[in-house]
Amino acid sequence: MRKRTLHRGLTAFWWLTLAFLYLPLAVVVLFSFNATNSAASFTGFSWRWYERLMGNEEILSAFANSMVLAIVSSVVALVIGCVFGYGMYRHRHRKLGWLIVLIYLPIVLPDIVFGISEMAFFVQIHEWTGLLQPGLGTMIIAHVTFQVPFVALIIYSRFVGLDPTLFEAAKDLYATPIKRVLHFMLPTIKPALISAFFLSFTLSIDDFVISFFTAGPESATLPIYIWGAIKRGVSPEINAIATLMIAAVAVAAVLSLVFNRRRPT
Amino acid sequence: MSYIGVTPTARSRAMVSEARHLLLTVAPGASWIFIFLVLPSAYLMGVAFMTNGPYGLPEMPLSLASFERLAGFGFLGWSPGNLYTLLRSLWQTLVSTGLVVVVAYPIAYYITTCREKWRPILLLAVVVPSWTNQVIRTFGWMNLLAPGTPLSGLAEGLGLIAPNMGLYPSNFAVTLGLVYNFLPFMVLPLYGAFEKLDTAQVEAAQDLYASPVRAFWHAVFPQTLPGLLAGIVLVAIPAFGMYVIPELLGGGKGMMLGNLVANQFSGGANWPLGAAGAILMLLATFIGLYVMRRIGKRLGGGEEVVI
Amino acid sequence: MSETITADIADQPGATPAAEETPQEAAGRKASSIEMQGLHKRFGRDTVALDGVDLEIRAGEFFTLLGPSGCGKTTLLRILAGLEEPDDGSLVVGGKTLTEVPPHRRSVNTVFQSYALFPHLSVRDNLAFGLKMRGLPAAERDAKVDEIAEFIKLGDLVDRRVDQLSGGQRQRIALARALVCEPDVLLLDEPLSALDAGLRSQLQVELLRVQKRLGMTFVFVTHDQDEAMVMSDRIAVLNGGNIQQVGAPREVYERPVNAFVARFMGHDNLYPVRERQGDRLTTALGTLTAEEAGEGELLLIRPETLDLLPGEVEGANHVPATVAERLYRGSHAEFRLEIGDTTLQATVNNRGRHLPEVGDRVTVVVAPEDLVTLSE
Repeated sequence: MRKRTLHRGLTAFWWLTLAFLYLPLAVVVLFSFNATNSAASFTGFSWRWYERLMGNEEILSAFANSMVLAIVSSVVALVIGCVFGYGMYRHRHRKLGWLIVLIYLPIVLPDIVFGISEMAFFVQIHEWTGLLQPGLGTMIIAHVTFQVPFVALIIYSRFVGLDPTLFEAAKDLYATPIKRVLHFMLPTIKPALISAFFLSFTLSIDDFVISFFTAGPESATLPIYIWGAIKRGVSPEINAIATLMIAAVAVAAVLSLVFNRRRPT
Repeated sequence: MSYIGVTPTARSRAMVSEARHLLLTVAPGASWIFIFLVLPSAYLMGVAFMTNGPYGLPEMPLSLASFERLAGFGFLGWSPGNLYTLLRSLWQTLVSTGLVVVVAYPIAYYITTCREKWRPILLLAVVVPSWTNQVIRTFGWMNLLAPGTPLSGLAEGLGLIAPNMGLYPSNFAVTLGLVYNFLPFMVLPLYGAFEKLDTAQVEAAQDLYASPVRAFWHAVFPQTLPGLLAGIVLVAIPAFGMYVIPELLGGGKGMMLGNLVANQFSGGANWPLGAAGAILMLLATFIGLYVMRRIGKRLGGGEEVVI
Repeated sequence: MSETITADIADQPGATPAAEETPQEAAGRKASSIEMQGLHKRFGRDTVALDGVDLEIRAGEFFTLLGPSGCGKTTLLRILAGLEEPDDGSLVVGGKTLTEVPPHRRSVNTVFQSYALFPHLSVRDNLAFGLKMRGLPAAERDAKVDEIAEFIKLGDLVDRRVDQLSGGQRQRIALARALVCEPDVLLLDEPLSALDAGLRSQLQVELLRVQKRLGMTFVFVTHDQDEAMVMSDRIAVLNGGNIQQVGAPREVYERPVNAFVARFMGHDNLYPVRERQGDRLTTALGTLTAEEAGEGELLLIRPETLDLLPGEVEGANHVPATVAERLYRGSHAEFRLEIGDTTLQATVNNRGRHLPEVGDRVTVVVAPEDLVTLSE
């Protein structure tokens, strides 16, 4: 009996926590449809904030910047991280302690230290050489830096999960080094590559602090635009953009669930 | 039958080619992180020991002035502002990490008691909110805690806050925002620990210690300790360096170290002072990395905590 | 070389293969001999895997590398496959030096212990992998895959996914995947060790039949001496990176050259020779007469060569003993006998005759021609 009460209590606690987790998002979504610009009470349904978004050049360019940044950095990180993850796997029997520290550094380092280090460094290099002008380029570099470890770890753990003799079987069955990559390694890790790409993409879209400090005047992304809008004074338009971004994440979550389910284990 | 023997250098040749392979695969990623993160961090640490120039940029000669400023010694003598900020950061980190543990522990356990096919979905339900941008999530809390909202009204009715003040900006709002932000970071490693829990040990403990509290303490808790420690590292270090949440929810009196550092690189520019603050966070990071590696070793080296 | 596998089989429909064509005859058409000289391999600084191995494997032979784990048999196989490069020595297959040729350029294929089927491919694509890598056009690949599927009797397995196969089915797919490439030499790395006993003996027979039909050179690695004896034309017993003995199964079992081989083949009745006068050898069992026992310092008595007579009977090579233990196994019974301070194992076929009980006095009869001596 006592066990049952415990389980009931836990279930109630679970639903409370879920409410806690989704309440702030629900509020944003709800108020994006508010007829007036009151932040305190919902006065009626309307699309007006979404209509206003469409005409806002600044938002559209921020959206474009976000997409370019996310896609380019994810692709670069995928290539570098994939090779990195394979190298870690191939040489896992060596002492690679320093490499592990290097990989975890971008994951553990607080965003603010990450952001200002790169900003200070880029500014200094720019002063000396004229290279690394703050803008999309510096942002891409910064994003790749925090995406690479995640890609490498995902690819690494996929390889570790494989039967190591598969590599030998491919050699044994006449596959040259290039054919081994094309016909064995890449197809085998394809699911891991896809999920690494999506994770990189999400990390990039999600980031605000590092983008904020490495951005140039012309390269504001959506989160940077939202930040500025909040600082200037809350406007319901923010609710509308935020809702669109939440919707995108929700779609990604459902997709990842479907994708994970369909994949045979 | 003619044959060619392998020269004795075959071994060393194989070793050289292996080393070259290691270099080719690992070097691009490793040097990327080294050039674009390790070098900048080192540069930042150097900046902390330089003098503040007229435009807030670092200049020679080397000095410890920025550390003195960080401790509160300025042109006008000692002031406690920076020290308060530091203490507030520590306090917020401590309280929010503690609260996150208190919430995440039962949640992680609850998920493991559910049917196996539901577990990934429940886990996903906890993680999905953290996929939205931090700024948006914090903005959601601003909406919820603003003056005139039901939550603020409730707090007013209970006499917790003055009328028409709202729950934000305040230190309470920052704590709430931190707990909200970091909850998934604790649930994931704890869930991993609970899933691997050896139930035979728990049953044996129930036999031996009888009382559920003691059984928990002797059999369950030690087994979840690695997950708990990993979770604490994943929560406490970024919480200590948090910037967005105190900036939006804290106001002037809710400032944390992250805001102090960030402000030195934007408005009231003083790079060396900001860098000195960042060194504290770097120290916290290295302690965290060290703890992570120790946990990793104790789990047999192969285990990796991936967020 | 142009004949396909089914053409080979079509020559001899339904017949037991050995009756129609000997492996040597088949080998004349397709099979390669292997020569290894002075192969050395070290791992790290101290681990010696191969300590100078010289070995010749004949064309069309079912050859087994037998030994305990760590004896170097797997390393030797991996050197044959090209997955490991020897530190020193040479390897010649079918007259071609392969010592430094990478695995993808050797006409040698392996059936791996874990089968190593590619999880991202269907069974059909797994079977066609080697042919595709060699650049065969799709139509030819399909034809060859169909041939091999029929030959190994894979039936509808070809259209399944790899994760839908049982252990025995995976094993057969792995075999087919290697065979379809028509290699000069097929290597098998403990391919049956993951299967349960019933399936294992069934697949042993199947494997043997395949090898005899194709006349291909098979090099088989196992640590199981029973399996080695059932399957092999010849066996090489390895220990500590050295070859101990090479010979036909009967030779290795009945005339082991040293104590290691004898013990590995399952013999326990080994007794140091204390004194030797012509044919008369004195051991802890007493003095026995031997015929052509050799000059070794250990006497080997195989348990199944012994006869037990009830009671004490006088005679040449008659040794009185007490039954200390009896294990009844149905077809035969195993006895542990005490003779003075030493023990002797004896195996007696159950022909429905009287079987001595524990505690009985018996007389062990040793035939002089069954005694062998060997070195330590």
